[in-house]
Amino acid sequence: MAVSKKRAPVDFGARCRQTWKDMVKYRWLYFLLIPGIIFFAVFKYAPMYGLKIAFMDYNQYDPSKSAWVGFDQFIKLFSKRSFIPVLRNTVVISLLKLIIGFPIPVILALMMNEMRSLKFKKVSQTLLYLPHFISWVILAGIIMTLLDPDNGLITQFIYQITGQRVMVLTNPKLFVPMLIITDIYKGMGWGTILYFAAISGIDPQLYEAASIDGAGKWKQALNITLPSIVPTIVVCFIMNCGNILNAGFDQIFMLYSTHVYDVADIIDTYVYRMGIENADYSFSTAAGMFKSVVAFILIVVVNQIAKKTGNEGLY
Amino acid sequence: MQHKAIKRGKPEIAFSIFNYIFFTLLCIVMVYPFWHVIMMSLSSVEATAKGGVFLWPKGFNLETYAKVFNDPSIWSGYFTTILVTLSGTFFGTLFTATTAYPLSKKYLPFSKAMLLLVLFTMLFSGGMIPGYLLMKNLGLIDNRLSLILPGLVSAYNVIIMKSFFQSLPESLEESAKIDGATEVTVFWKIILPLSKATIATIALFTAVGYWNDYFSTVLYINTKERWALQAVLRYMLTNTNQAMQSAGVSVAAATNVTAATIKSASVVVATVPILCVYPFVQKYFVKGVMIGGVKG
Repeated sequence: MAVSKKRAPVDFGARCRQTWKDMVKYRWLYFLLIPGIIFFAVFKYAPMYGLKIAFMDYNQYDPSKSAWVGFDQFIKLFSKRSFIPVLRNTVVISLLKLIIGFPIPVILALMMNEMRSLKFKKVSQTLLYLPHFISWVILAGIIMTLLDPDNGLITQFIYQITGQRVMVLTNPKLFVPMLIITDIYKGMGWGTILYFAAISGIDPQLYEAASIDGAGKWKQALNITLPSIVPTIVVCFIMNCGNILNAGFDQIFMLYSTHVYDVADIIDTYVYRMGIENADYSFSTAAGMFKSVVAFILIVVVNQIAKKTGNEGLY
Repeated sequence: MQHKAIKRGKPEIAFSIFNYIFFTLLCIVMVYPFWHVIMMSLSSVEATAKGGVFLWPKGFNLETYAKVFNDPSIWSGYFTTILVTLSGTFFGTLFTATTAYPLSKKYLPFSKAMLLLVLFTMLFSGGMIPGYLLMKNLGLIDNRLSLILPGLVSAYNVIIMKSFFQSLPESLEESAKIDGATEVTVFWKIILPLSKATIATIALFTAVGYWNDYFSTVLYINTKERWALQAVLRYMLTNTNQAMQSAGVSVAAATNVTAATIKSASVVVATVPILCVYPFVQKYFVKGVMIGGVKG
C-alpha cells in the first residue's frame, strides 16, 4: 500500500518533467499557436463566459452593477406567452425541413451516380451547387421579385391558372411551405457532395462481382451503393438533429414580416428582436442559451445512439 | 443476347432517359431565377408593369443600372466588402494554418486537449447577444474590424487543414529538422508550399463567408458608409423609395414599378461577381469537402 502510494508521485513528477522538456523542445509549435489561441479565447470562449448574464439582470449602463438573479430569466422565458409559439414554430419548421429536405440529396446523389455522360454530370453538379454560395439576402431579393403581389412571375402564373392573386410572403398558410421549398432549392445540390465523396470511395470490384452474379444496375444501386453511404447518411443526420433548433435564421429574417410572425417567428429572430431591438440583454441571452444547451444535448444523445446501433458517430 | 440483357435492359434505358430529362429540368429550375432577375433589370419600367418578362428583356435599356450605380452606397458597400473579404481571407487562412499545424502533431503536449477545445466550439457557442456585448466591450462597434475578426478562423476549417497536414509524410520534416531548422521554418518553407490546394480551398470558403456576411453589419455597424455590400443590398430591397432618392430619382416618379426594376438591378449588381468567379473555383470547394468529409 505504502509503496504504491510512494511510487505514484514519483511517476507523476517524472512525467511532468518529461512533458515540460517536450514543451520546451517544441516551443516553436506553441509560438505558431499563439494567434489561434487568442482567437478562440476571445471570439469563441469569451462569449461563452458572457452567457453568465443569462443568470443576471444585466445593467447596460453599468455592467458591474448587474445583480445575480439565478434562473429567473429562464422562468420568465417559459412563463411568457410569446415564447411557447416561438419554440413550436422553430421545431415545426426545422422538422419539416429535415423530413422533407433530408432524403432529397441522397436520392439525387444515387440518381446522378447512374449518369454515363461525365460532362453532363459535371455541368449539372456545378449548377446544382450554385445556390449554396449565394447569400440569403440575394435569394430573398429574387424570391421577393418572383412572388411580388403585383408583377411577380409566380404570382402571375398562379393568377393565369386559378384567377387568384396569392400573396405567399404575407399569407401564414403559404409562408412555411415557401420556406421549405426555398431551403431545399438552396441546399439540395450541395447536400449531395458528401454522398459523392462516400460513393467515390466504394471498391469498384464490388460492382464487378455483382454484375457477374447477374445483378442489374438497380440492384447494384440498392445493394452496394446505398449501404456504402449509410455511415455518411448517419453523420449527416446527427448534424441535422443537432440543428433542430436552427430553423434557418438568415432565411426567415430576410423574408418574414409581422403578417406571418404567428408561424414564422423562431428562437433566433425572437432573440434578435428582444436583444438587439429591445436591448433586453439578459432575457434574450437566456433564450439563446436555452437553444444552445438543447442543441448540444441533442447532438450528444443522437451521436451516442448512432454509436450504440453500430454506426460510426460524429466524434 | 443474354449478355446484353445484363448490361443494359429496357428498364435501365428508360431510367437513363428519365434521368437526363429530370436533371435537365432541375438545372433549368436552378438557373432560371437568376436569369429572370437579370432580364427584369434590363427591361423597361412599362414592360415590367404589364408583367410577362419571361425569357428575354422587354424594352431593353440600361437606365436602371445607371440609377443603381448613381447611389453612392453601392460603391461604399463594395469597398467595405472587398476590404473585409481580402483582409479577412488572408489573415483567416494564415491563422487557420498556424493553428492546424501544431494540432496535427500528436506528440505535442496538450495538442489533443486543445483540439477538443476547438471541436467544442462547433457544438456550443455563446450566441448572438454575448457576441454583441463582447464587441461593445472591445470598443469595436461601428469599426470595420468587427466585420473581420469574428469570422477569421472556424473550427471546421481547422479540422480540414489538420487532416491534410496529418496526411503529409513525416520524413519531409525530419531532414530539415536535422539541419537545425525550427518548426516555424519547416512550416513556412516546406509545409505551406505543399499545401497550396488545401489552402486555396480554405481561402475560398472563408472568402465566401465574408462576401455573403450580412448579419455582422446589422449587429455591429451603424454608419451607412461602412456597411458591407449585403447590407446595402438589403436596404435597397426593403427601403426602395429611400434608396431611389439617394440615387437621384424623385419620389413622385418612384412608383411601385420602378421599384421592381431597381430591386432586380441591385440584386444583379451584388450577384454578378459571384457568378463570374464561381465556375472557375467550384472544384476547390468540392475538394475541400472531400478532404474534410473523410473524417469529420
